[in-house]
Amino acid sequence: MSAETVHTIIDDLGALLLFTMILIVAAGQIYRAIYAVAAQSLFIAVAGAVLATATGNVDLWVIAGITLIVKAMVLPWVLHHVVQRMNIRREVEPVIPVGATLALAVLIVVVSFQLSASLGSVRQAITGNALPVGIALTLTGVLAMATQKTALTQMVGLFASENGIFFTAMSVTQGMPLIIEIGVILDVILAALVMAIMVLRVRSTVDADIADLDRLRG
Amino acid sequence: MTGDRPLVLVLLEMALLVLLGPLVTGAIQKMKARLQCRQGAGVLQPYRDLIKLLRKGTVQADTASGFFRSIPVLVLAATVAAGALVPVVRVGPPAFPLGDALMLLGLLALARFLTAIGALDAGGAFGGMGASREMTIAPLVEPVLMMVVFSTALTAGTTELGALAAHRGTSWIVAWHAADFLGFAAMLVLLPAETGRIPVDNPDTHLELTMLHEGMLIEHSGPGLGCMMLATHMRQIVTLGLVAALFFPALPADSAGATGLLLGAGAFAVKILVLALYLALVESSYAKLRLFRVPQYLGVGFACALTALALRIL
Repeated sequence: MSAETVHTIIDDLGALLLFTMILIVAAGQIYRAIYAVAAQSLFIAVAGAVLATATGNVDLWVIAGITLIVKAMVLPWVLHHVVQRMNIRREVEPVIPVGATLALAVLIVVVSFQLSASLGSVRQAITGNALPVGIALTLTGVLAMATQKTALTQMVGLFASENGIFFTAMSVTQGMPLIIEIGVILDVILAALVMAIMVLRVRSTVDADIADLDRLRG
Repeated sequence: MTGDRPLVLVLLEMALLVLLGPLVTGAIQKMKARLQCRQGAGVLQPYRDLIKLLRKGTVQADTASGFFRSIPVLVLAATVAAGALVPVVRVGPPAFPLGDALMLLGLLALARFLTAIGALDAGGAFGGMGASREMTIAPLVEPVLMMVVFSTALTAGTTELGALAAHRGTSWIVAWHAADFLGFAAMLVLLPAETGRIPVDNPDTHLELTMLHEGMLIEHSGPGLGCMMLATHMRQIVTLGLVAALFFPALPADSAGATGLLLGAGAFAVKILVLALYLALVESSYAKLRLFRVPQYLGVGFACALTALALRIL
């Protein structure tokens, strides 16, 4: 593949990633947010495979495979499982109206493009729009975490944010050392498991969710 | 100004759209019926409805003013005029100044406005309710449609639909710019809203809870109602044609002669059928949204369109 084609494909994948991010932020039901984050991880895996073919870096193939299996299949399945176990309302309850969140998300996208445009020559050196898209994904993931009341939707936001960091790292550095990527993925799996178990435990012992914890008094 | 589409061709295309409009509605209804494991009415049912309505007499509310009678004709005229701006069998700019995509959206907005005025004029509660709801939805849909048009028009350097379609050329998804994906996603979100379908509106019922567009037609009867229905069919095919022109590949304009025209018409039919199938699938798999949830749904389209513009400009 020529460098031009890789540029285009990474740019297109960036657009699809932003689209899934908008879906996550705007999701009215928790299952849709989970499916959207699974789709997002799938696109990240495709981006990894494309970069692997372009650079001939074998590590990237491994990373793309791990991303596909862990982030696009196992983690969404864990989330799905927790939702079913908890028997919660499937509608998500945002802190601020979804419209306002969407407006903030669009603002984040515009600002990150503006910021990376000011970088000038640095932006030329890396793959297309990958840097601004990655920054936007990371920050929007944080936004999704901040605007949700339930722990599960906050987990979805965390995974989306993590996807953003992963995408930036992968496309800017043309593949980080394999050991670091595997470490990151292990961290994510561990975090997901700990959070899932904690959510279930909190639920079964005090029947409360994260948003209720601010009413705790000593 | 040299163009690829002479006046005769534009008029022919417009007539074709008027004739095919009800067929698209019929096809969507048939597809919906099959998806729901029903036999469904034939695809020609909308034509039969129209013929039946044209043969009936007109009943009018006592409170309606004289203007009420001219509403259906004006709405139909505005929508049909919008149809002249959509490239059908051949892409490329028309041979004479005709108007661009903004003109098309403006004409559709005019038709919407006239429909609402008519509904308010008749003085019925249903019509007034439908009109007020439609006018709540409209300002959420129309600016986003314009943003989608702009996001594609920026590279082509024109807002003329034929030229835009010609600029898209024969290339398919492989050659799409990143912004095109987001623009297309925004268009897919907006399409049910603009054609008055689930999850925003329900075209099959006049029931109180779902009434937007149908609620506004409730005071019309006979040939007037027929005109309004034809305008609805027409609006749908025009909107689908707009999407096809903006995002779908087109045959090159130099394939002249009868074969070229037939080929173009066939390609257009395929594109419209694909979009119709999409609408039928959405209608069968989603429930009608509560009215206060609609802005949230349309917000997704808005965010996508704005991001597409940001990708294109920044």
